[in-house]
Amino acid sequence: MMQIIIQGLLLSGLYALIAMGFMLIFSIGRTLNLAYGAYIMVGGYIYFWLSQQIGMPKVVGFLGAVVVGAIMGLLKHRLIVKPLKGDPVAVEISTLILAVIMQSAVVLLFGDASKILLPIIPGVVTISGAQVTYNILAATVMSWVIILALYAFIRGTHTGRAMQAVSMDQKGAAISGVDPDRINMITWAISGGLGAAGGVFFASYTQLSPTMWVAPVIISVAIVIVGGIGSIIGTLIVAHIIGFLEIIVVAVWAPELRGVFTMLLIIGVLIMRPQGLFGREEH
Amino acid sequence: MNALEIRNLVKRFGGLTATNDLSFDLAQGESLGLIGPNGAGKTTVFSQIMGELRQTSGTITFMGEEISTLSTPDRIAKGVSRTYQVPRPFADLSVRENIRVGLMPDSLRAMIFGTGDTAREGEIAQSVGFATADLDRPATELAMGDLRKLEFARTLATGAKVLLLDEVFAGLTTGEIAMIAELIQDLRQRGFTFLMVSHDLPAMEPLIDRAIAIERGTLLANGSFKEVLADHAVRASYLGEG
Amino acid sequence: MNLRPHHFLLWAAFIALMFAMPQFVGNGTLRTMIFACYLAIFAISWDILSGRTGYISFGHPFLVGIGAYTTAILTRRYGFPVEASIPLAVLFTMIGGLIVLLPALRIKGSYFALVTLAVMELMYQLVPVVRPDLTGGTRGISRLPALTRGAENGYYLAAGLMLAIALFAWLLMRTRLGTALWAIGMNEESVRGSGLSTTRLKSFAFLVSAAIAGLGGAFYAHYLGTITPRAFFDINVLFQIIVAVLIGGAGTILGPIIGAFFMVFMLEWLRPFLPGQERFFVYGLIALLLYMYQPKGIMAIIDSGWAKLRGART
Repeated sequence: MMQIIIQGLLLSGLYALIAMGFMLIFSIGRTLNLAYGAYIMVGGYIYFWLSQQIGMPKVVGFLGAVVVGAIMGLLKHRLIVKPLKGDPVAVEISTLILAVIMQSAVVLLFGDASKILLPIIPGVVTISGAQVTYNILAATVMSWVIILALYAFIRGTHTGRAMQAVSMDQKGAAISGVDPDRINMITWAISGGLGAAGGVFFASYTQLSPTMWVAPVIISVAIVIVGGIGSIIGTLIVAHIIGFLEIIVVAVWAPELRGVFTMLLIIGVLIMRPQGLFGREEH
Repeated sequence: MNALEIRNLVKRFGGLTATNDLSFDLAQGESLGLIGPNGAGKTTVFSQIMGELRQTSGTITFMGEEISTLSTPDRIAKGVSRTYQVPRPFADLSVRENIRVGLMPDSLRAMIFGTGDTAREGEIAQSVGFATADLDRPATELAMGDLRKLEFARTLATGAKVLLLDEVFAGLTTGEIAMIAELIQDLRQRGFTFLMVSHDLPAMEPLIDRAIAIERGTLLANGSFKEVLADHAVRASYLGEG
Repeated sequence: MNLRPHHFLLWAAFIALMFAMPQFVGNGTLRTMIFACYLAIFAISWDILSGRTGYISFGHPFLVGIGAYTTAILTRRYGFPVEASIPLAVLFTMIGGLIVLLPALRIKGSYFALVTLAVMELMYQLVPVVRPDLTGGTRGISRLPALTRGAENGYYLAAGLMLAIALFAWLLMRTRLGTALWAIGMNEESVRGSGLSTTRLKSFAFLVSAAIAGLGGAFYAHYLGTITPRAFFDINVLFQIIVAVLIGGAGTILGPIIGAFFMVFMLEWLRPFLPGQERFFVYGLIALLLYMYQPKGIMAIIDSGWAKLRGART
């Protein structure tokens, strides 16, 4: 029982982090950014390359991953989203193409085989009888630090509030003196950085592989859809629903069915309550 | 028999009341002007009559039959149709094809195996003032005035006898306003029923038999155009006097 | 429907060209063309729903997969003849699609894409674990009965099927129903405002799309002889279908065919120069650049080139 609670909390924190970056883009442009999975994958691989292949300190590896992720987000906004004038269908499709390109780029550079990341912090601790690696504990703690920082940024800074304004109403925000283009750019960069950071932890939780980008995208999609657009709290709650759901299914049922209930949850919620459990109705 | 009977219509969005216990009638063959300041809830009333928004409570009766719970296409099939403040054409379709969509019956079989009535498409286009050369132009190429005419044409094409016109003169030149006004007069002669909203009161005045005024979804006045404009509450809210 | 003499001529020329191919090319090229024909069928199926109505389906591999798995299970596990299993595969694809995806037509835009993506991923995870005695688990089902022998006959079958489907889709899209579906893609509210039940129209487009996907999937399964979950319920399959449509030109019949052949042959032509994974990287990059350059695809590029040529002459 304790095992389930602790594992559920750990996994949920990680999922919440992964979903945040995806949620930011979805709430701003109603754009399904399938290439978000690519940031996660690239983040994991950059960290692997810097810290394990070149032998740089882990902090450098992590920061490097975040910077590359943010640059990817920026480039994507500049080179793809802007030229397509934000047409959601065109952006969705080009992000799908981009994700597949990134996947083959990773195979090209690192090969087809899965890679195991060394633990970020080695060692195991026993909490109320449950074995927890420091690695996963660190990933979860870092996830929470980043999520709280993001929350403070969006609620507490001028730029953050402008992001919220743009996500609610692009035109309205433009009238009140916010430059939606600049805000969009910042959002894409933050989203890329968050994705890459999430990727480092996600990879240390599972493993690195060229197809690792699909699962986190689906999870992000599930969390954002079930939670509702533009709600950080909703995203957090649903990350925990889905995290615990998976842990419970694995523990009491069968590991193969891990994702099945998540999918059913998405499909069910979308059909019954398209605005999400915590989202606002749009008309 | 009344064409439309609106009874105790209420629409709430969260805490905001957009339509507040609104009741009015529209007689068959009558032309009624709906006036009120911006944000008074005129378009929301149209959307509820057409079923694009579902009322919170109250009933809408069309030709003696309650339509409050029908879908939009079913209401159009009964014979009521509307235009929009901002025209919504099918951008890549030609003028003729836009009208064709309005003419289509709501039956898959008829849409696949039936042959269209191209002559009727041309007639409707001509009646709102399109030249024959315009028929094959894509809607993207049209100017605002032409888009509005196209919107009007597509609404007519649905075969509705009761037309709800939302800001039908917005974006039109004086010449186009005169032409649409003439068309509306012609349709009135032929027995069509109208409920219209326009900011251009002078252009609307000769086209209506009666007017009602609303503000914040509440009925303020009901009577002849002159009576309604003379009403104290209307002057206070709408014309900023009082 | 407005058929003109030059329509018959163009179709006759196209069919003659496709059937004359085996006289000019070798068996290796024919096998590539067979794959292109099946991809074109899936692309036409996707285009009827997504290219016309603007409802982007990320779940088409799911539909193709139901068709393939149904005929495989019926022939290999229950000993059905292919004459019965293929029509049943089409029927099952329509029913399966109906149950799972039709409710999704009530929701709009990106949400529709999400549900379809989730459904495909769900199938990928379910197929190996639910009744592995039927589905063969992750190893799939092998030794499906072949419909034809040799590359040439396989090609005639694939090309004939593709041409029949293309002709059917072309005729259907030239009716007023085709116009209405296209209008949904431009402004769904206005279609409802014109008195048409868009749910019924979309459902119809969806059923036709599913039937074609199931039919193509079933024939493709028999051509391959072996099917696995990864070969169907996979994001790369989805990528190939969507890219074929977009590169060729969405909302047209010839577009998805041109796109499918272009993408399949490009991959083949790149093989001698780039034997490894680089090929997929370059292939993806070309697809992205072409799409960014002209989202309406090769058909639009040909059209504008043709218009320029005609302008230069007169």
